[in-house]
Amino acid sequence: MQTDNNGSFNAATLERLRRVLPKDRATDPTGERLEELLQRISSQKVPVGSFSRIWLLGSLQAKVTCGYLAYWLRSRFADADQKDVLKNEARLAAALQLFGTMGYLRGAVMKVGQMLANLPEVLPEEFAEVLAALHFQAPPMHYALIREVFRDEFGKEPDEVFASFDRQAFAAASLGQVHRARLHNGQEVAVKIQYPDIARTIRSDLRNLRILLQPMCMTKDWPYLLEKLADLEQMLEMETDYRQEARFTQEIRELFKRQDQIVVPEVFEDYSTRRVLTTEYIPGCHLDEFLAGEPDQKRRDHFTHLLTVATMRALYRKRFLLADPNPGNYIFMDDGRLGLIDFGCTRVLTEEEEALQHEFEEAVMAGDDQQIDRMLAKACYFDDVAEMEPERLRVVGRGARWQMEPWMKEGLFDFGERDFFRRGIDATMELGRKGYSRGAPTWIWANRFILGARGVTYRLQGRCDFRKIYEQEVKR
Amino acid sequence: MRISQQVKEETRERILAMATQLFLSKGFEDTTTRDIAAAAGLATGTLFNYFPSKETLAMSMVNEALSGGIEDYRQRCCDDEDLVEALFLFVTSGLRRLRPLRPFLGPVLERSLSPFPRKAICPEGESARQEHLAEVQNILGRHGFTAAPDYVAMTIYWSLYLGILAFWANDESPQQEATWALIDYSTQLFVQTISGTNPCTGAGHAD
Repeated sequence: MQTDNNGSFNAATLERLRRVLPKDRATDPTGERLEELLQRISSQKVPVGSFSRIWLLGSLQAKVTCGYLAYWLRSRFADADQKDVLKNEARLAAALQLFGTMGYLRGAVMKVGQMLANLPEVLPEEFAEVLAALHFQAPPMHYALIREVFRDEFGKEPDEVFASFDRQAFAAASLGQVHRARLHNGQEVAVKIQYPDIARTIRSDLRNLRILLQPMCMTKDWPYLLEKLADLEQMLEMETDYRQEARFTQEIRELFKRQDQIVVPEVFEDYSTRRVLTTEYIPGCHLDEFLAGEPDQKRRDHFTHLLTVATMRALYRKRFLLADPNPGNYIFMDDGRLGLIDFGCTRVLTEEEEALQHEFEEAVMAGDDQQIDRMLAKACYFDDVAEMEPERLRVVGRGARWQMEPWMKEGLFDFGERDFFRRGIDATMELGRKGYSRGAPTWIWANRFILGARGVTYRLQGRCDFRKIYEQEVKR
Repeated sequence: MRISQQVKEETRERILAMATQLFLSKGFEDTTTRDIAAAAGLATGTLFNYFPSKETLAMSMVNEALSGGIEDYRQRCCDDEDLVEALFLFVTSGLRRLRPLRPFLGPVLERSLSPFPRKAICPEGESARQEHLAEVQNILGRHGFTAAPDYVAMTIYWSLYLGILAFWANDESPQQEATWALIDYSTQLFVQTISGTNPCTGAGHAD
């Protein structure tokens, strides 16, 4: 990207930026004010967070992301009086500046920004790709750093712990990276290693995210948004203990038998600690590679079926929401089995949440609209439907009904149908635009779970008898 | 009566061992040379024959640890590390040797390794610095920096290193893991500065 050394724009970049920035017809028809705001931010340096290596607002892409975030956040307080608008502008400038210092969440925020930049013409394909990229990322580690982590965790070097250890990572994980290795008994394993002290970075990023969202503080739903961020923080902190993930992995592994054709790797506890997780290596390819091989419809349907069985069984048998939308968590094996890996981001539903889910499914399948509305009100923390604004009920209901569409169809459900996915995007976007965040934090995870899986099955262009699978899994 | 070299050496070792215990239990500031002499069964005056001050005594421990760290580094080095990795390995090897002394090191390092010029330079601190920087120069030499790095580069390195030491001395994270992250960033920053490029850090993410 063309920027001069101090991070401000040169003329050509400025011109490109001006073209792509959003324009607000009423208050800012030329996009000039937004551009001024961005200029102001990018010429001010802020202390860089613990592991940002570059000042990211130096890139055009980051500026566009910022521009769209600003545009979106501003629309939250479009009706406020002039004084409040000014106050919020100042907050917004400060908040966007902090965006450049995010180490861990920045990737995810950039992806959201890219998507916002394409609104309202976002294509279902782009949406699915953005969803896939919405996982968080730690910086890469060189081998010398890995050695120190091993000495702290095992008191030994990787070469001593394992019979052999690949120095080059073969995959990125949300909190670190994965290396291949071999145990002394010959077993091939995947070793996930966490970047040191990542929890601190996550905490500081979430603090920044809270500030980034400050301009929304005047909206009625602000406290609920804060509650959701607190839940997110707690989840991410839990994820930093790999022993927790090891337990989830073992529990999920027990759910599947050989004939299920679903493989969850064995955990090797003697080789696992809080920051290192060693599991069986599952050979196969990820979604992109699988699709590149132009699989026929039968194979696409087959994996869509397995994916649905896997996620439903975890949900109905264990109350586990597999909430990480990263398609890298699915491994397409040559022999037709589906590998499931990476259970760090597993949200366990409470019994009460589970009961609510069942009740809702039944209301949807019975087509009982009044009951559906009552339940939506409850999920949004209203005692009664009458308390809920009609617009909120409509928007929330639209999203929820889209999520439940597969439950209502007998026979093959086509997750690759463009119209179906498009409706989901529209519903999700509307929810975002209206800023309705009132409701239990579980819904973030439920949404992440459903949208993540739908993104994968959309790209798979796969079909399955969803209703039948549901009936089988819910009864087990 | 002249005491033999061996007895001298044993006494020196005893003083260091007793001082370590006292520093760990009472802290560096609250331990006096008289306490150390008493614990080692010596007259305070005799102690001064071995170590002219409490700082020198403590820095002798640091010196020994850091020398041990240099040895460890040379042994652990595989010669296929890039510059960032080599410097990282070097710094962490030293810190591992210093770890047992960590509870009382803050004030010791502050007094003896201060970057500000002082009238009475702590000779032990100065020799620790010289030895450390000589090894850094070796490492740089092995990675193709043939011209001797100038004082600017060495001052930048030393400032980063002191920053790491200060952070590490107060690092509350488990096994001081936050310090590992800081060393990672500091070594990247240093290599970026002296080479004027983005360092290649070995393991890139294989997305």
